[in-house]
Amino acid sequence: MKDIYELLNDVKLDEKEFIEVEVNDLEKAKVLNTLKTSIKRKKKWRGWKMNVAAAAMFIGLSTAMVGLTFPAYAGDIPVVGDIFRFLDNGRTGLYDNYKEFSTEVNMTEESKGVAITINDAIFDGETIAVTYSVKSEKPLGDNPFIMDTLGVRGTNRMSGSLGITKVDDYNYVGLITASNFEEDDRDVVHFKWDIDRIMFEGSDEAVNGSWKFALSVKATDAEVTALNHVTEQDGVQLTMTKLAVNPMSYTVSYDIQVAQSVKDKWDAVEVDLAITDDLGNVYEGQNNGGYGENSYDHHTSKTFQKLDPKATKLFVTPHIVLRNYSTDDSGGVEITKDGVKEIVSTNTKSEREEHTQEEIVIDLQK
Amino acid sequence: MKSNEKNFIKRLQRQEEDALEFIVGAYLPLIKGVTYKVLAPLQNEGIVEECINDIFLSIWNNALKFKGDGTDFRKWICAIAKFKAIDYYRQAMKKVEFTSEYMEMNAEKSVEEELIMMENSSELIKLINRLDPIDREIFMMKYFLGISTEDICKQFDLTRTAFDNRIYRGKKKFSVQATSLTFGGNLI
Repeated sequence: MKDIYELLNDVKLDEKEFIEVEVNDLEKAKVLNTLKTSIKRKKKWRGWKMNVAAAAMFIGLSTAMVGLTFPAYAGDIPVVGDIFRFLDNGRTGLYDNYKEFSTEVNMTEESKGVAITINDAIFDGETIAVTYSVKSEKPLGDNPFIMDTLGVRGTNRMSGSLGITKVDDYNYVGLITASNFEEDDRDVVHFKWDIDRIMFEGSDEAVNGSWKFALSVKATDAEVTALNHVTEQDGVQLTMTKLAVNPMSYTVSYDIQVAQSVKDKWDAVEVDLAITDDLGNVYEGQNNGGYGENSYDHHTSKTFQKLDPKATKLFVTPHIVLRNYSTDDSGGVEITKDGVKEIVSTNTKSEREEHTQEEIVIDLQK
Repeated sequence: MKSNEKNFIKRLQRQEEDALEFIVGAYLPLIKGVTYKVLAPLQNEGIVEECINDIFLSIWNNALKFKGDGTDFRKWICAIAKFKAIDYYRQAMKKVEFTSEYMEMNAEKSVEEELIMMENSSELIKLINRLDPIDREIFMMKYFLGISTEDICKQFDLTRTAFDNRIYRGKKKFSVQATSLTFGGNLI
């Protein structure tokens, strides 16, 4: 169906009927001015309406999510309702229970035609996880990324992040995390996220703008148990220091200490934990990154899926990978605020050795 | 980049603000002429001014609906101007207490007003769309643009009787279809 403006296209008017009248510059300026203000006002109004619609949608979705025992994957829902799950995409299942316990934020900042919305935030006592969505007027490519990390008040230690995933050309969702605070057992965390630009992978192009967020998130109720389980093998010593169990996941914190002889021989030591329980459950998890004096000795943690409440014992199996990088498969690049630096190795051949350490048994207090 | 005679339509359709500058500069005298001709009897400068603003805003908001070249564009905006001016004239006649103070305070119509207007015109437009092309044009000219019967007859090479017949048949079609519209429709 044609609307009035399209219909007016077809109307043949007699040109003679139209007479121009004199207009001075002041009149032109006045008309132009009014127009520009009304265009802007109209834009603002539209934005407001969209935000309300989005907020309403998220509220609607989240109530639905809580009510379901087996919430549908975000993929089934037209707009990403549970970004945690969407990003994980069923790989680890780590984030299955996050949405339920997270706080809805829905703060939007718009700059340069790109609107960034913080959707949910959750703090498990150790790690803040923040989901966000990016809506852009122009496509942002397949792999845009944001370098700016979360700034947490009272600490400058943090690590960890997951990238942005494309939903379609104009919509992206992402998860950013920050872990390992100097002082543990916080009830509430105040953080800000100042984004200056969105970069594109494999290109110098970027969207420079300003998106600033500041918010506080309360910690979910967590049961923290101090641990002191030590295991040592082949010069790599691990000390389990803390187990924090919260309603949606649990985190094991540990220290890594590497003997000098190992440091001399290997470029890198990677540690990963695998956890099962006495009921046969296998827990998937994700490393949170860590901090320390050097790349060998550091404090780190790993977050695992929701703990089965019936489990009484956890079996932790550490896997150690020792690596030497060579010139042709060097460890990749180091990305810092100042730019991208390639890690150069002097070895001619890359080497790799794997060890599995003795199992650690953690008794769960009941 | 600046808009010029060659690219302003494209730039307007891409919602580049400089295209607005160009069309105001180039077509304000014409738009003002059309508007004045219709609204002069009201002797109200405020309404003329508001109407002109509204015309340009509609051109901006509906730029994508325009099809054709520069000459067509001139005709299209004149048609919009005339249609808008008549609309304003009719509203003003219905509401003689329309003061200039009111205009300034409420430059934008209230949501209710806008909704009612949308409803009315969309129903009517729906009906007009069901007419065949020639009748559609005749109706548009006669009722939306207020062009005299003689002029329309001349343009379409119709006799007065043929014209009256078409209008009669069209109106009949309207009344049949209008009564079959579902409840809640709001027809003038």
